Amino acid sequence: MRTNFLIDRRTCLKGIGASLALPLLQTMGWADSTQGKPFKPPVRLGFMYMPHGVIMDQFWPADPESFLTTPPPALDSLRPVLDQCLLMKGISGVPIAPFNGAPHALELSTWLTAVLPDADRRNQINIAISADQIAANYVGGLTSLPSLELATMPQTHKENQEGLNEGYYSHCSFRSPTQAVPAETNPRSVLNRLFGKSDQPGNLTQADALDRQMLDLVLGGARDLRRKLPRDDQHKLDEYLDSVRSVERRIAAIEYRQKEAALESAGVRASKRHASDSPPIEIKIPEGDKRSEYMQVMCDLNVLAFQTDTTRVSTYIGSTPNGVSYPELGFKDEHHSQTHHNNKPGQVAKVAAITAFNISQFAYMVKKMHSLREGEGTLLANCIMMWGSGLEDGNTHGRENLPFIVAGKGGGSINTGRFLANIKGNQGDLLTTLLACAGVPLDRPIGIATQQIKEMRNV
Amino acid sequence: MAMALLGVALTLALPCHAQPADDGDLAAQQAEAKKSFREGVTPFVNTYCTECHGDKKSKGGLNYEAALKNPGGTASRKHWKQAQANVKAHDMPPEEADRQPTDEERQRFLDWIGKIKFLSPKDPGPFVIRRLTKAEYGNTLHDLFGVDPAVAHELPDEVSGAGYLNTLSPLQSEQYLGIANEVLDRILAPGEAPPTEVQKRLFGEPPAPGADLEAAAGLVARALARKAYRRPPSEEELDVLSGVFDLARANHLGYPAALRLMLKAILVSPQFLFITPAKEAEPGRTIVPLDDHQLASRLSYLVWATMPDAELSALADGGQLHEPAVLEAQVRRLLADPRSRALFDGFGAQWLGLGELKSKTFDTAKFPQMTPAMRTAMVDEARLFFDSLVRENQSVVRFVDGDYTFLNETLATLYGLEKSVTGPEMRRVTLTDANRGGILGMPGILATTSFPNRTSPVKRGVWVLEQVLGEHVPPAPPNIPALEKQDQNTVANLTLRQRTELHRTNAVCANCHKILDPIGFGLENFDAIGRWRDQDDTGGGIDAAGELPGGKHFASPKELKTIIAARKDDLARNLTEKLLAYALCRQLEGYDEIVVDHLMDSLAKDGYRMQTLIIGILTSYPFANYRIQVPTASPSHEN
Repeated sequence: MRTNFLIDRRTCLKGIGASLALPLLQTMGWADSTQGKPFKPPVRLGFMYMPHGVIMDQFWPADPESFLTTPPPALDSLRPVLDQCLLMKGISGVPIAPFNGAPHALELSTWLTAVLPDADRRNQINIAISADQIAANYVGGLTSLPSLELATMPQTHKENQEGLNEGYYSHCSFRSPTQAVPAETNPRSVLNRLFGKSDQPGNLTQADALDRQMLDLVLGGARDLRRKLPRDDQHKLDEYLDSVRSVERRIAAIEYRQKEAALESAGVRASKRHASDSPPIEIKIPEGDKRSEYMQVMCDLNVLAFQTDTTRVSTYIGSTPNGVSYPELGFKDEHHSQTHHNNKPGQVAKVAAITAFNISQFAYMVKKMHSLREGEGTLLANCIMMWGSGLEDGNTHGRENLPFIVAGKGGGSINTGRFLANIKGNQGDLLTTLLACAGVPLDRPIGIATQQIKEMRNV
Repeated sequence: MAMALLGVALTLALPCHAQPADDGDLAAQQAEAKKSFREGVTPFVNTYCTECHGDKKSKGGLNYEAALKNPGGTASRKHWKQAQANVKAHDMPPEEADRQPTDEERQRFLDWIGKIKFLSPKDPGPFVIRRLTKAEYGNTLHDLFGVDPAVAHELPDEVSGAGYLNTLSPLQSEQYLGIANEVLDRILAPGEAPPTEVQKRLFGEPPAPGADLEAAAGLVARALARKAYRRPPSEEELDVLSGVFDLARANHLGYPAALRLMLKAILVSPQFLFITPAKEAEPGRTIVPLDDHQLASRLSYLVWATMPDAELSALADGGQLHEPAVLEAQVRRLLADPRSRALFDGFGAQWLGLGELKSKTFDTAKFPQMTPAMRTAMVDEARLFFDSLVRENQSVVRFVDGDYTFLNETLATLYGLEKSVTGPEMRRVTLTDANRGGILGMPGILATTSFPNRTSPVKRGVWVLEQVLGEHVPPAPPNIPALEKQDQNTVANLTLRQRTELHRTNAVCANCHKILDPIGFGLENFDAIGRWRDQDDTGGGIDAAGELPGGKHFASPKELKTIIAARKDDLARNLTEKLLAYALCRQLEGYDEIVVDHLMDSLAKDGYRMQTLIIGILTSYPFANYRIQVPTASPSHEN
């Protein structure tokens, strides 16, 4: 039975329409409890990715009972917040035939879509809207940024495995079946984008009073141009239109902030914050090129964006599936080459170290969220943070039990502190469940999903 | 037959400035291809393939029913390429199949598949609109306003390739707007201050008191849009700009400030940021030549990575650019200009795989030489070498057997030439060691095809086959059998070569590795950053000897290069196909193969010279024409 998560498409569209129709940013004050309704912070949804799978016996707990007391080595960094986490074994990936020669091109691109690219148009981007973008479509209208896409390294790897467009190698977010969303890798740009703080030329910090109306006229002209183009080219213009619209929204956000700042300096306190909330965290952009510091500043930006309700959806590609190495761990080997370890202890140890390193960055992020007060609880309690990989075992390219960690209670919808050792479900089922927990109505299941994973939820 | 006649009629209707194929020949070849398909391919597929790949069975995701019905279709092409690769490598039919074709049947099948291209209708492909790259955008701003192209440096670098990825993040539009502000701040006078020189050039003299400001602004808009959009603007486009001017005036901005807002609108418009077609094509036509403005932009962005200059623009305005003699002379002029280094920066670096060298990780303990200065010198070496082959109109074969290169002091240390080459500037150096010279002996390339801490003969072999000879190497199969389940002690005593050769004892691996491993090992005398060595990391002597299919033996990089350099046709075809795909911003399809065949004919006659190759591509049928795709009523994208 799928009906438990299917809702009328019209309801869903109405949701989106309503949020777009509201005067921009007027909806931002979610903490306003003007009607005397009890205050409830929104649920935020975050995804963080590592390629190439894990060392299974160092990732999966021995049994549900020992999960909290003696977690496996890979999860050590999560110890202080394990009671806020949920681990599920038995979630299978998308079967990749007829693209058997493209395990790495597909591990990332199927991760949030739970579906394969269109085989007949494989040289172009043609897949499905990803779970994060479905969520952004629904809640994105309520914040100044619909969603945040981050990555640790630039997406420059080029390879056409099985004739697939190289974009599949480096993207997990898709705004539509034909539009991959590029990720930001420069923390300075992200900071500017979130909060308009910049000392660099070419960044938008000051709102020019007429820019919004000027862009409106330009958009009108762009739509005329779009009408004359064939369909494939229309997609390219769509990206442009989306992009310019989000600039309009950004300008509105800047104007809003300027107004707030003026009010605050005139002695009127900002309406947005709840009295018990922690103050916004500080961001320090590291000087060197140490990977852990770099990943931590990206995690901090994610935390800050959620904390200030600048966005409610984020996706962070912590590492890409292409010859990335980890000099900080004391060896120079590339991640991928080590995952084909054939059970040789030296290589297994390196993969385990890389996995633990990635999970510890995720742990850094969720622990910070757990330390921040929000409303009656913590920021983490109102988030759903998913960490995972697109393969289970990099050595064999296995995708039987994809490794996923969910941290955060999703505003009370997720029952954490458990290891579910024997789930029957797939990647699409998992994404569908998480979106349902975040309150995103779906008019159809995600990818290959057939059900929600009820065991994950609070009943 | 009807199709062939249509092809003839169309080409007669066109200005025939870019006509590679003799269409009479084409019709005959089509007839023959149809016959051999009917008599050869169909029975072969029915006998050996349909049991698993037909009749609703799609083993490995492949089914040939649709391809048999429409052999020349675009979707079928992939099926034939796959069949060709697998039948050639003896992967198919599988060993356990009941019936096996004889070697002769196999060869005949491969020959027939080679003719399937003649079943493709004559088609230049669509005109792919695309966004200006970061480099093109910066250069265009420079040419328009005289600002430093580095004003664009905050834009993200793009991922490009045959399947050009055209994504645009929200941040990017924001940056376009921010950069437009920055540019305008630099070139326009603030407030009521007297106009700058650039301002006078762009906006003309301020209108006299009492003049019709709107009319004056209309003239400025037309002139600015002609430059910035690289073609005459349409009336609708001018309406948008006058709307922006009116908006500014209605908000009490002065005349210069209103023009500033209008110019800003131009700089964030898709007509500026994208290369777009000029006007709607006449209804009823399916294939039309590019108009001269499109042609000028296509040429200029390809060779110079910037907007057309005054000479190209004037030729486009005069409607002369498409004339064959004019077009060829312009290509030569563009190639002779220093800006043609863009051909390397945009295409060459990507072709040779050098784009990633700057950020590639190396084991710095083992290779402290890989400093930023060294990496820069490595890329410069390849660039200057590429550039010299183009500029001096040398043969494509020189890419493999060139006897000179470009070095500075830093890079010369890798060649052992630090005594004779001193100083930081790159200069041309004649090489006496024939193991060096050409891209196969070039440190930058040897380094990008290595692991951070050691060489990878497999990577190098794949690189030579795919990037130099244009062959398709299928990816390694999933669940690669564990080579080293064998006695660990035995394996530990083997050299890298002996260990890698274990691939070839396994039938699944052997088909490919028996070709690519020897090439990689033939280059083992070059270490992971391109220095010559006689011993590998284990202290064992380098064994660079090998044999390639056809019984060609070699014992050193020099001899390997000689064998590869002899494959002139493959070298030239590979470069032609890669550059054509880059120029068209799309993958090559059925008819393109015929275009390449014809280019190859004229190239062979001219000694495979670089300018001939480039001019051939830039005046080819698919470069100068396009197929009109019907604007489909896809759902409107408006709120």
